[in-house]
Amino acid sequence: MELRRPFVRRRISLAVGGGLAISLALGCRPADTRFFGTTTPRHPPNELWINNAGEPEWLDPNKCADGNGGEIIWNTFAGLVQAHPATLEPMPAIATHWDVSADRRTYTFHLRPSEWSDGTPLTAHDFVFSFRRLLDPRTASKYATNGHIFKGGAAVSRGAAPPESLGVRAVDDRTLEVVLEDPLPYVLSFLTFYSFMPIPRHLLADLERRGIEEALWTRPEHVVSNGAYRLTEWKFRQRMVCERNPRYWDAAHVRLDRVRVAMVESYTTALTMYAAGEFDWPGSNTSLPAEFMDYLAGYQDFHRHPYLASYYYWINTTAPPLDNPLLRRALALAIDREALVRYVTRGGQIPSADLVPHGVAGYQGLDRPLFDPVRARRLLLEAGYPTGAAVPAITLTYNTSEGHKQVAEAIQQMWKDVLGITVELENQEWKVFLSTAELNNFQLCRMGWTGDYADPFTFLELLSSACGNNHSNWSDPAYDQLLTEANREPDPLARLAKFRVAEALALEAQPLIPLYTYTRSQLVKPYVRGIWGNHQDRHPWKYIWIDDSAPPEPGADPPPPAPGEIAS
Amino acid sequence: MTRFVLRRLAELVPTALVIVAASFALVRLAPGSPFSSEREIPPEVLSQLNAKYGFDRPLPEQFARYLGNLLRGDLGLSTKYPQRSVNEIIAAGFPVTLTLAGVALIWSLLVGITAGIIGAVRQNTVWDHAAMATALVGLSIPSFVLGPVLVLVVSLRWHLLPPAGWGDWRHVILPGLTLGTIYAASIARLTRGGMLEVVRSDFIRTARAKGLPERLVIWRHMLRGGLLPVVSYLGPAIASMLTGSVVVEKIFNIPGIGPYFVDAAFNRDYFLVMGIVLLYAFFLLLMNLLVDVAYFLLDPRIEYP
Repeated sequence: MELRRPFVRRRISLAVGGGLAISLALGCRPADTRFFGTTTPRHPPNELWINNAGEPEWLDPNKCADGNGGEIIWNTFAGLVQAHPATLEPMPAIATHWDVSADRRTYTFHLRPSEWSDGTPLTAHDFVFSFRRLLDPRTASKYATNGHIFKGGAAVSRGAAPPESLGVRAVDDRTLEVVLEDPLPYVLSFLTFYSFMPIPRHLLADLERRGIEEALWTRPEHVVSNGAYRLTEWKFRQRMVCERNPRYWDAAHVRLDRVRVAMVESYTTALTMYAAGEFDWPGSNTSLPAEFMDYLAGYQDFHRHPYLASYYYWINTTAPPLDNPLLRRALALAIDREALVRYVTRGGQIPSADLVPHGVAGYQGLDRPLFDPVRARRLLLEAGYPTGAAVPAITLTYNTSEGHKQVAEAIQQMWKDVLGITVELENQEWKVFLSTAELNNFQLCRMGWTGDYADPFTFLELLSSACGNNHSNWSDPAYDQLLTEANREPDPLARLAKFRVAEALALEAQPLIPLYTYTRSQLVKPYVRGIWGNHQDRHPWKYIWIDDSAPPEPGADPPPPAPGEIAS
Repeated sequence: MTRFVLRRLAELVPTALVIVAASFALVRLAPGSPFSSEREIPPEVLSQLNAKYGFDRPLPEQFARYLGNLLRGDLGLSTKYPQRSVNEIIAAGFPVTLTLAGVALIWSLLVGITAGIIGAVRQNTVWDHAAMATALVGLSIPSFVLGPVLVLVVSLRWHLLPPAGWGDWRHVILPGLTLGTIYAASIARLTRGGMLEVVRSDFIRTARAKGLPERLVIWRHMLRGGLLPVVSYLGPAIASMLTGSVVVEKIFNIPGIGPYFVDAAFNRDYFLVMGIVLLYAFFLLLMNLLVDVAYFLLDPRIEYP
């Protein structure tokens, strides 16, 4: 998933921020000073106004590869399983229950009787169609690799095998058999992802018959979906309106009638609109501007929780002088990560020298030292440099953004102070930067990674030799072997232990320098209930409701429903 | 006159061709591709995407094909918004930008000319100084400061108008004022200067000598002469209102085409970049032509071959 969002839209929003700063300075406070902006809903009851931070590329579950599309798909489609709104634990959705084979490679899902929004019965064939389509090279899905969990998925996506050969089949209309490539323990969580939603093949066939381009099937005038809401209006780059879908399998539990989704890209504009009551909640895809974080954190409608994403610097391990692992480790130890998050990033980020965020699916983090200047200096000496001045010039490249610049400058100073090494900074516009990273045309470059599912593998895969996102030029067959073994390991605890060994092995070679784990900060009007913080920032609308009768007391949400309560 | 206009229109064609070729070359020379992201895209997928947009062809062939499509009025497909054609995107956004620029233009003319006349007619009085000082302030405040301040006061403090968005007349006022003010300031200064220049000319003396009332002298003769510099300024001003709406459209989240001008280049949305550049270039050339025609209509001294 994309990670530049928190920082990139800064260019113009900084300017808008100037105005907002004036507003703060003037002490423009609303009536209830405990909250930021108005606390009276400006819309009819049972309606929610949110932001989606931009026009989605696709609303087609198989083709979507961005958070803006994902937010709409998650709420207008329903998959086999759904994520619990607080714990993200997989719970039944279209599948009521499932059987797992002894080797944990075959899942048999039993589907409930349900309908598409046009009344057509939904069958296991709709899932088979979707999963094959996700991998079919003709679909050209940027997230086709998600389907590599299915047996034969990689071959199908390469075009080396027909989509029909995929390990997915409809035993009958209500039974779906899924065969996996590896016995992945996170597969049920992963199947809650939007790529795996069913596709209304009857609609696609109908459009083809009528000579309408397939790409238009998700437009409101055509779309057929099976989720809690259906898309009824889509004004390009203005707003979408989603209305309750009476044919949704769990329609009885959907509380809001309508959700109005604006597409405001500037985070500062979104913040102003929140203050004015144009948004009840800026939504999962809107970040709060970092420069106002300290100020906003004082309000009771401000919420913060850890996020499944890491911020790090790639090291090109074949470019001298950074081909020396001792020097790489010295650099990693010379960064005062506590100071970095406290004084520079200021968003409550969790300082970390590990790649995998702590506590992912029971994973025990390595807890590598956050800062050790003495050891860093000793490593520098061992690397063959009596002083930092003897180290040849190093350049740190980052994509143009105020936030990345501040982090880079702080670290530049730390390396100068602790090791005496002079590092030059270079910023590049995003697409130029991406091509620099891809061509390994750098010494150090910043990057971030959001986990697609709650499992260490989504992070550890980054360092495997086959991974196209590994920009370090570092590879180790022993590491690859450990990952492969771990994913074939049926015992979850033994699997996590193997991952731990693998992560330690990789970070000992230091092909990247982890800096911190992201957090997500949110503003939610006090009358909006049913948004629980979770580490993937996923908040299904079906659990959200408006309660403007109650006095605006924060933290008064009832506990989220237990998984068993929802599975009916 | 007709011959002049026709000749100028004919000149548009080679100019447009140069613009198309230059922007095509520039956007393709930039590193990166429309499909690159920090997540690796499988090569099979990439080749499918490239084939869909014809990026797998040699560049000269792509250029020829683009020109061919252009002649048929087809600007191609957007890569950032893959379900939309560039034609559709421009058709959706350009009227919005035009509306915004229109409001800004009316505001700037209304305020600018009024202040300019006051300044010229009451030259070197308190009125003149007040009008010109206001113009100076207006000229000095950039839109990215004025916009948020207006939002702060009008939307957040007084709750009179929405802070951002697009839909009805209430949404257009604040961005229109924000965009127009800086031009109002220039127009005020130009009007004042232009009128002061003609105030001592022979035809004004003649007008006064033949006993015209002062009101008519001002409105019929002085203003017409005084507006010439304003008219020549309006061409580029309208063009720059259209292109310069980037910031205002971002601040107020207006779905015009302004933001594409920057974002499409960042996204390497090749066809969208070209479409927008062509549209802007066309408008710039058209505005310049209109200015020349307006000159001809306003100033009887000007003759065209």
